[in-house]
Parts: sequence; C-alpha cells; structure tokens
Amino acid sequence: MDKSLSSTLLILSGLLLIAVLFLLNISIGSVFIPMDEIFKGIWSGEFSRSSWETIIKTYRIPKAYTAILAGIGLSISGLQMQTFFRNPLAGPFVLGISSGAGLGVAIMVMAGSAFGLTLFGSGVGVWATIISATVGAISVLLLMSLTAWKVKDSMTLLIVGLMFGSATSAIISVLAYFSDAEQLKTFTIWSMGSLGSMDYSQLKVFLLTLIVGAIPILIFLKSYNAMLLGETYAESMGVNIHRLRWAMVISTGILAGATTAFCGPIAFIGIAVPHMARLVFKTSDHRILFPASAIIGAAVLLLCDAISQMPSSAQTLPINSVTSLIGAPMVIWLILRRNFSKEF
Amino acid sequence: MSDLKTILKANNLKLGYRKGPKETVVAENISFELKAGELTCLLGPNGVGKSTLLKAIHGQNPPLEGDVLLEGKALSSFDQRSLARKISVVLTEKISSANLTVGQLVGLGRTPHTGWLGRLSPADKMIVENAISVTNTQYLHDRRLSELSDGQLQKVMIARALAQDGELMILDEPTAHLDLVNRYEVMHLLREIAQRQNKAILVVTHDLDIAIDTADQFWIMQCGAPLSTGSPEDLILKNKINLLLPSAILQFSKELGKVEPIVDRITVVIDGVMELRKWVILALRKANLERLDSSTKIIINSEEDFTLDHQGHIYQLNSISEVIQKLKKSGL
Repeated sequence: MDKSLSSTLLILSGLLLIAVLFLLNISIGSVFIPMDEIFKGIWSGEFSRSSWETIIKTYRIPKAYTAILAGIGLSISGLQMQTFFRNPLAGPFVLGISSGAGLGVAIMVMAGSAFGLTLFGSGVGVWATIISATVGAISVLLLMSLTAWKVKDSMTLLIVGLMFGSATSAIISVLAYFSDAEQLKTFTIWSMGSLGSMDYSQLKVFLLTLIVGAIPILIFLKSYNAMLLGETYAESMGVNIHRLRWAMVISTGILAGATTAFCGPIAFIGIAVPHMARLVFKTSDHRILFPASAIIGAAVLLLCDAISQMPSSAQTLPINSVTSLIGAPMVIWLILRRNFSKEF
Repeated sequence: MSDLKTILKANNLKLGYRKGPKETVVAENISFELKAGELTCLLGPNGVGKSTLLKAIHGQNPPLEGDVLLEGKALSSFDQRSLARKISVVLTEKISSANLTVGQLVGLGRTPHTGWLGRLSPADKMIVENAISVTNTQYLHDRRLSELSDGQLQKVMIARALAQDGELMILDEPTAHLDLVNRYEVMHLLREIAQRQNKAILVVTHDLDIAIDTADQFWIMQCGAPLSTGSPEDLILKNKINLLLPSAILQFSKELGKVEPIVDRITVVIDGVMELRKWVILALRKANLERLDSSTKIIINSEEDFTLDHQGHIYQLNSISEVIQKLKKSGL
C-alpha cells in the first residue's frame, strides 16, 4: 500500500517538476523576457509588449509543448522495446523506423540533385519535411510489422530492425554523396533535431498521432508485466506473444516515427529515460513505469531544450547533441553507480 | 488409486517438428496419464525428446499425430488464456527482472485470471499469500529477486506457478544448479503440493535418487521406444530403471538402490552386519578389488571393527580404508 502511495507522490512531484521546467523553458531564449512578465502574461493573456507576446505564444510555448510530447513519445516507446526484447540497450531507434523517417527526408531534400529532378521547388517547408519523414517511417514500419508477423523469434526481429536501419543509413549516405552543399546542409540540420519548427496545427496532429500510438500500450499493459519473466513464461500465463509483438512494433513505430517526423532524430531519451524511471521509482511494474517514463521523458527533454538555448545567447545548440551530451554521462553514471544489469 | 482424477491423457502421440512438408520425428508411441494429487517424474537422457514432450503437453508444439486430452478435451481446443488457467510452468530460463519483489513475482502468476490492468482482487491476493505460505517463503515476501539464492528463487518460482492455480504444474529440471539440501527440499515441497493441494505435477529431472524417493509415477523416455510408465518401485523391481542406462557400463542396483558400474559378481566373501555391506562393496569396487580370489573374506563386526581373512592371514581392522589398504599392499 505505502509503495503505491510513494509512487503516486513521485508522479505528482514529477508533474510539478514539469510545470517548473515548462516555465523555465519558456523564460529562456535569445530575447530576455522577465519572469514576472511571463507569469502575468500567461495568467491574464496580456503582455506589456506585443513582441513578447508573439515570442512566448507563437514560438516558445509550442516549442515547450513539443518537448513534452516528444519526450513522452520517445520514452514510452523505449520502455516497450526494452521490456519486450529483454534488452537494456534497446531503444525506439533499433527497429530502423527513425532511419526510415530520415530516408524519407533525405530523399525529399537531396534526391533532387542526385536524380536530377526537383520535388518541392527550392524551399523545403515544414509540412513537406513532416510528410516525407512520415512516409519513410511508415514504409519501414510496414516492413517491420510484416517481419513481426512472420518471424517467431524476437531476437530475429531485433536484428532485422538493425539491418533495416543500416541499409537506410547507407542509402542516405549515397544520396548525401551526390547532393550539393546546400541540400546536404538542410538535411544535416534536420538530422540534428529541432523542437522549434512546429505551430499549433502541427502540434495538434502530433498529439493525435501520439495518442493513437499509445493505445496499444494501454491494451497490452498487463502483458508487459508478464513479459518481465521472458517470452515463454508470458506465454504460459496466457499472453499472446505474437499479437503483443505486432502491437509493440506498431506502437513504437507510430510513437518514434511521429516524433522523428516532427522533430528530427533525438537521441538517448528513448534509451536513458526508462532506466531513470526504474531507478527513481524502484519498480518493474509497468502500470507505474509507463507514466513514470512519460513524466521523466517530458522533464528531461524540457531541460535539454532549456540548456540548448542558453540565456543571453542568440545561438541555440542542436537538441540532438544536447540530449546526447547530457544523456551519455547520465547513463554512464547510472551504470557505474549500481549493478546495472541486475537492475534491469 | 483409481479414484484419482485424470487431468491429462494421451494415446500414441507422435512428437516432432514440421517444417513445410518435412517431418522430423523426435519420439513415437507416447502414451500417458497424469492424475491429480500425484507427482510424476519424467526421466530420460539428453536429447531424447523430453522438451518436445513438454512443449506438446503445454500446447506450444502440437504433436504430429494424436491428441493430448486435458480434462477430456483436446488441448488444441483451449485458447491460450484458458490453457494458462489450467497449466502453469517452471522453466529452466533465468529471470532477469531483478527489480521485481517476491510478492510481485508470485502476484504475476494471477495474470490469466485478472482484468486488463492486472489488478489483484482480495481473492487473488489470498491465493498469492497462500502460495507463498505453502512454499514457506513468507520471509522472502518483500525481497527483490536479485537478493535470492538459487534455492530460494526456485521455491518462489514454484509459488508463482502455484498462484496460477491450474490443475497441472510442469517443472523443467527444477533441481538443476541446486545444492543437495535444496534438491531434497524442492522435490519434497512438490510432493507436498501435489498431495495437499491435489495438483498433478510433472517434473523433468536427472536426479534419479531423489526422484525415486519422492515420485508417485515415473515416465522413462528412451530413444526409439515407447514411454515406460509406472511407480518407481515397480520399475525398479522389473529392472525397467535400466532403460535409463542403455550403455554397457552402468546399471541400476536393486540392492544398493543406486546406479553402479557393471562388474562381474563380487568374489570376495562379505559377512557380518549386512546393512553395512554395501559400503564395503562400494569401497572395493572403487579400488578395483572386488574380483579377488574367493578365499578372501571380510567380516563386518561393527562400524569400527572389521576382520579380514586374506591369504591365510587374519587382520583386525578399524575402518574400511584400512581394509582396502591392507588388501592393496598384500594383493599386489
């Protein structure tokens, strides 16, 4: 009883932390806006300067929302993968779905010069990027679900996913080799990830996609707990592994694919956050771990985004580098601090 | 015996794997019956098809021919969830979820009975607590799996299978990797569960001695022959245990109640306290001395007093090793 109480307390304080980080996040940027102005503005909807209102409402708040949604999407798909494959190093990217998204974007941005034709004119719009990434992610997702349907062994699925990832990366390299400098730069910038390119209409689509992607998790929540004992035990307890595997591929595919499509690839959140959730909440129960990972994922990405736009600097660091720079030492620390393999 | 309820029954199963049109037959002529309240041990050499048989019983790999009947209905007519309510397993694979506490692990056994969130009802909790107390693991309730010894882990895995509350429990080598005391404890625990909770329990094991001590039924599996079933005692008397030892080197000794190397009859005459005879035979055998000429005579007066009559000399000795030493010295 007291255990579930402490979990509830932790989750509540996590939500509070998100609120604080959200405020911190929108208060930081290349233009200095005083904290009390932000409070007042959010409370009453009126800002003393209209430029501040524009910055906060059309730029910083959507970006913070994006950080929260992307953090949630990546961490809960990472948790699914780690539990399903019984592998602490599994993450949302191992099924090759975000490489698929990357390939989609690479084809749109760079294939023009590689094949001598222009797909989208000279400018590359946000929607065009999102759509091509989605098409790429869905193609790989379809291939992977087909594989998941066919193969009996989950390890095979993992390896096939890694191979899809390698193959798509190779195609991207070929495209990059033949493209000109400007296109290469466009693609490289996309591949560094960005939380700040979305407006409210895109955010709505992103949110809806994530909700759809999370539905299989809700349906199979109990099965994930049974999977803690391995596939054979789970089967002996009435879990339909075949259906679960398929649902897992679809769910991570949608969650990670959508996040990559909307924000570009963001490393480490998917792998590191589930481990942090296990450590902080000290449980293996997925009824707690899924919300816990979602909260920690949102908080970590908000924090990373705040760091990426250090105050009084006009420059922002690419979010993908920040998550890696913060994530890698964090994971190393976690591993060294406790018996990592036993923890899992 | 006949009023025991039959849980599982099969006639002339043909086991194996099918890949396309190709069939790989692993075992044939498999017929058996599992009854509630009985502990059955499945014995057989590695690679004879014990795992394939378990998979057939557990519905993972249906037999090529024949049907396994669970409570009179074909196994294939059960869906996975209702099968999980009838049959629970303890496997050889190790559980890597170290964050799980014993209470949570045993609670997972209720998975086929709970709703979609897996929340335990008061009735479920009662069953879980009962499973934990039957296996005498209450003191481990809040420990994490990483803190358990192999023996403790095996007992809580049995508790989990018990909490699943099926009519049949299948255990694949539950005593492997365990020390002597834990082997006995685990097997006696299973025996107790079979009798008190009226479960049918099937155990794959290689521990012949402990299996003979605890099992109600033996299934002996051997290459290319039908499954031999019966009580261990009957199988011993009918020399069927030797089916496990197809080589010319080993045999099961009814007298010693254990496996021994095949040798010609002992020519040394051993007299005296007959209960202690087998230890003298054992020591002679290890020293390759059992075929000394029949003029040699050993009289066991007590545990610490042996008389050796050898080559016309009579020795009074205090231990078996002294007897052996004396024989070695003079015999060579």
